[in-house]
Amino acid sequence: MTQTIIWTIAILTILGMVLAVVLYLVAEKFKVEEDPRIDDVEKVLPGANCGGCGQAGCRAFAQFCVESEDMDKCFCPVGGNDVMQQVAAVLGRTVAAKEPMVAVVRCNGTCENRPKTNEYGGYQSCRVKAALYSGDTGCSFGCLGCGDCVAACQFGAIEMDPETGLPVVDEEKCTACGACVKACPKNIIELRNKGRRNMRVYVSCVNRDKGAVARKACKAACIGCGKCAKVCAFDAITVENNIAYIDFTKCKLCKKCVAECPTGAIHAVNFPVVNKPAAPVAAKPVAVAEAKSVMNKVEKSNEPVKKEE
Amino acid sequence: MMKTFSIGGIHPSDKKISKDCNIEILPVPAKVYISMAQHLGAPATPIVKAGDSVKVGQVIAEPAGFISAYVHSSVSGTVKSVGPRKDLAGNFVTHVEIETEGDDWAEGIDCSDTLITEIPEDNKAILEKIKLNGVVGLGGATFPAHVKLSPPPGKKADCLILNGAECEPYLTSDYRIMLERSKEIVIGAAIMKQVLGGCPAVIGIEENKPEAIRVMSDAVAELQKTARGYDGISVMPLKKKYPQGGEKQLIDAVMKRQVKSMGLPIDVGAVVQNVATSLAVYEAVQKNMPLISNVLTVTGDCLPMDRQHNYKFRIGMPLSYIAEYAGGIPEDAAKIISGGPMMGKAIAELDASTVKGSSSLLYLTAAQTMRGTESACIRCGKCAEACPMGLEPFLLQKYARNGMMDELEENAVQDCIECGCCLYSCPAYIPLLDIIRIAKGDVIRIIRGRVQK
Amino acid sequence: MDKLLVSPSPHLHAKTSTKSLMRDVVIALLPAVVVSVLFYGWSELLVLGVSVASCVLLEFLITKYLLKGTCTIGDWSAVITGVLLALNLPASTPWWVVFIGAVVAIGVAKMTFGGIGQNLFNPAIAGRVFLLISFPTYMTDWTKPSGFVGSALADGFTGATPLGIAKEGGVAAVEGLDYMDMLFCNIGGSAGELSAVALLIGFAYLLVRKVIRPYITVSIWVTVAVFSGIFWLIDPEVYTDPAFNLLTGGLLLGSIFMATDYVTSPMSNWGGVIFGVGIGVITMLIRYFGAYPEGVSFAILIMNSVVPLINKWCHTKKYGR
Repeated sequence: MTQTIIWTIAILTILGMVLAVVLYLVAEKFKVEEDPRIDDVEKVLPGANCGGCGQAGCRAFAQFCVESEDMDKCFCPVGGNDVMQQVAAVLGRTVAAKEPMVAVVRCNGTCENRPKTNEYGGYQSCRVKAALYSGDTGCSFGCLGCGDCVAACQFGAIEMDPETGLPVVDEEKCTACGACVKACPKNIIELRNKGRRNMRVYVSCVNRDKGAVARKACKAACIGCGKCAKVCAFDAITVENNIAYIDFTKCKLCKKCVAECPTGAIHAVNFPVVNKPAAPVAAKPVAVAEAKSVMNKVEKSNEPVKKEE
Repeated sequence: MMKTFSIGGIHPSDKKISKDCNIEILPVPAKVYISMAQHLGAPATPIVKAGDSVKVGQVIAEPAGFISAYVHSSVSGTVKSVGPRKDLAGNFVTHVEIETEGDDWAEGIDCSDTLITEIPEDNKAILEKIKLNGVVGLGGATFPAHVKLSPPPGKKADCLILNGAECEPYLTSDYRIMLERSKEIVIGAAIMKQVLGGCPAVIGIEENKPEAIRVMSDAVAELQKTARGYDGISVMPLKKKYPQGGEKQLIDAVMKRQVKSMGLPIDVGAVVQNVATSLAVYEAVQKNMPLISNVLTVTGDCLPMDRQHNYKFRIGMPLSYIAEYAGGIPEDAAKIISGGPMMGKAIAELDASTVKGSSSLLYLTAAQTMRGTESACIRCGKCAEACPMGLEPFLLQKYARNGMMDELEENAVQDCIECGCCLYSCPAYIPLLDIIRIAKGDVIRIIRGRVQK
Repeated sequence: MDKLLVSPSPHLHAKTSTKSLMRDVVIALLPAVVVSVLFYGWSELLVLGVSVASCVLLEFLITKYLLKGTCTIGDWSAVITGVLLALNLPASTPWWVVFIGAVVAIGVAKMTFGGIGQNLFNPAIAGRVFLLISFPTYMTDWTKPSGFVGSALADGFTGATPLGIAKEGGVAAVEGLDYMDMLFCNIGGSAGELSAVALLIGFAYLLVRKVIRPYITVSIWVTVAVFSGIFWLIDPEVYTDPAFNLLTGGLLLGSIFMATDYVTSPMSNWGGVIFGVGIGVITMLIRYFGAYPEGVSFAILIMNSVVPLINKWCHTKKYGR
């Protein structure tokens, strides 16, 4: 009995030692020489492996950072400036802070603004739908509403609003990795700077049709009238192909254009409440003043965003 | 043993309801809208402007590239505008709007019914006529006919195949022209085969059209007796199986040869043209008549027998005009399709105008066309059994959903002909083709990008 | 008509659906069910009822409350599992044993893998094999049937299956057995093994309705016939003959209804042939040389596990390649 136990222990011990030696030798033999800084950099990265930086994952990005001479080319959208500062510290370099960005959905073709003209009966995917035809509304540029962006988002930052049929970005969760921008076949989603205290002004429409056509398809369409461009004191607005675009690097958030827009296509979000503190619709005080019934819908779509302030 | 293609295929119900309806000629509407994108390749460039007066058959647009085609006015009258208009998928395409006045034909066009059996000898002149008269393939792809009829140097055609299979359910336009214009089709075939260097020509017709087989055989026999240049033309009955009319499938059925992946039919010595194209070639070469009209079937189970029609229409007539003329849209139609139910396009914009390749206005009821709810794949393999290209759709859709491009290419997604057999036969209603079609586009783009590098 | 419906082609769909295919399998099983009820009577009805009811109920409970997904009992697949499990059990099996079999079949073999379309092993066979190993006494208790049409069993064959007798007593012990008995009714065995003709009617129905392709089934038969034929010719005193091997045990039931299960069999035709040959060989190895008299269930389970490999290597013949 005792002998059996002793034998067992002895055999197991010897076996363990032999295997340990083998493991050690193998590990030595197949050791891959790698810059130890890659490990250090990887440790400070978020580890989401989203590919938002343009690399295959966080480790690939760490390697890229170590090998890259120019720190300005490396940016982790998920970690943002904080993480990039840490990465720079690890590598003993300095990095300039970048403006934080956020995904912005540039379509306001809610069910009410943009009535359906036909019924789509195929696979619920924006890419499939876009390849088939112009869409189930009169507007051939707007959101198709099948949620490819929602599926593409790894952070759960986009959800479809069942009421409007449009995607809504959760600013807290959005890391500006750009996956939704790539997923959208209509190029509606754009990465824009977060803006001072999250305040932003943008044109919520990408319809390049002539004004009358666009307006007929959607009540909230940009008709390319150019009034906003005229009123802008900072040359931030350009009108090309019947569509206005606000350059966020130039926009000073004066909101003159918002008041000027005849269709309410220009949205201002996260501005402090001025006129009616109680009402949840004060994001655009001036626009509200001359609001048509359509406008209520516009405010509604901004609601989830504002709640997080 | 009747011939057919060797891999896969399905047997959807025939439904040739309108097969006994004679071809009627549609009156010309007050306005037509002629699309500039009626063919595969670059859209044509309009050469008329608002205010110009045009005659029937006058050139109104010129090709904008090697693979492109002439477009002619289908009516006489005044050009009202040249601008964007929605096609049947709702996308804006440049159209020429013409207000009709009278029926004044351009000079040099022979509008008579006389049959001209003598084939001109100059092949170059024939090709030039086919090109100038804007003839494109009318089997579905609308590929410019003169390009297909000029094989690249070093390649030789061994066989001209005329596609009279009309394997899509419901469609009867090809069947009707085979019955009513049989001799013209045979003459067109003789012209094309002469251009291709005198190879034999085979007219493939599915067995479910015995009348067409008989009439076409008679026409061939008679022309062979009375005129020169008709040797080597024969009619071949084919077993009924969808997609027999697919180019690659038809070559397999008739010649027992298979086109290599990403290859062209001419690589195996085959040139395939639709019977309607053959008719258009006849008219272009023998009558100098441009391609401004085609035959279209108005059909559907929800239409009573007396409202089934085969119409000869002029291109540019709005679909809604034809629908109205045929007695309006039936109550229970949920989907209107231009083309066959397997590969045709669902119409989103009924005001869109007809194009050279329009072949039908097919009404389907919700019960017929609504897809069931997607459920889990039960790995029955019915899609792979049905695929005429021998692909494995269940695998491809899995790879496509996961974005596995290398695996997709390895499993030949680029060979998909989008015939719809997989989705048709899937018992779990998985949108196989919807997904595979997108993946195919992506993979072909990757392959092309690689070739260019 | 309100708004036009628009979707990508094709715009038509075949009449078949998962539900209709599964229902066809149930219909194909009906002759065998009727025969077994006629010969085994109330006890068989009880086994069938408990098996089907518990399979469907378990699938319902698991999909609804455990997985919280869409309920899949509407597709008839649980019914098939229930019927097949019942046909694989002796009529005298107590109801609670049947229930445990259903738990293993649906709960373990099917749902843990993710439900219909995902399971690696055929649920009914997994349930049966589990019971065979756990409750060997119940599972080999082939009591004399007391059915509605009275017993027509040949004397001396009660209490054991022909294969069991052959295993115990050698070829000589089963020499008196008539092939006609095996074809038409009643040889001892589990309910589904009673009548070869009833099973073949089901096979014909499945083929006519194009529910299954014949490759798997036929390759099993050919393999079993050839394998046993060779051994029988070598020594007919020791090895049972091919016809005996084809008609006895669960071979027909297994080869027609269980090896051809969509989910757990290869998808290509050539894959099916490899799969069938594998089942045939393993079955005969177990029958001739193994400890168990019967080997179809084990053979199918073993081959189920190599299906992913077969699927990986056997692809369809592609056009132009």
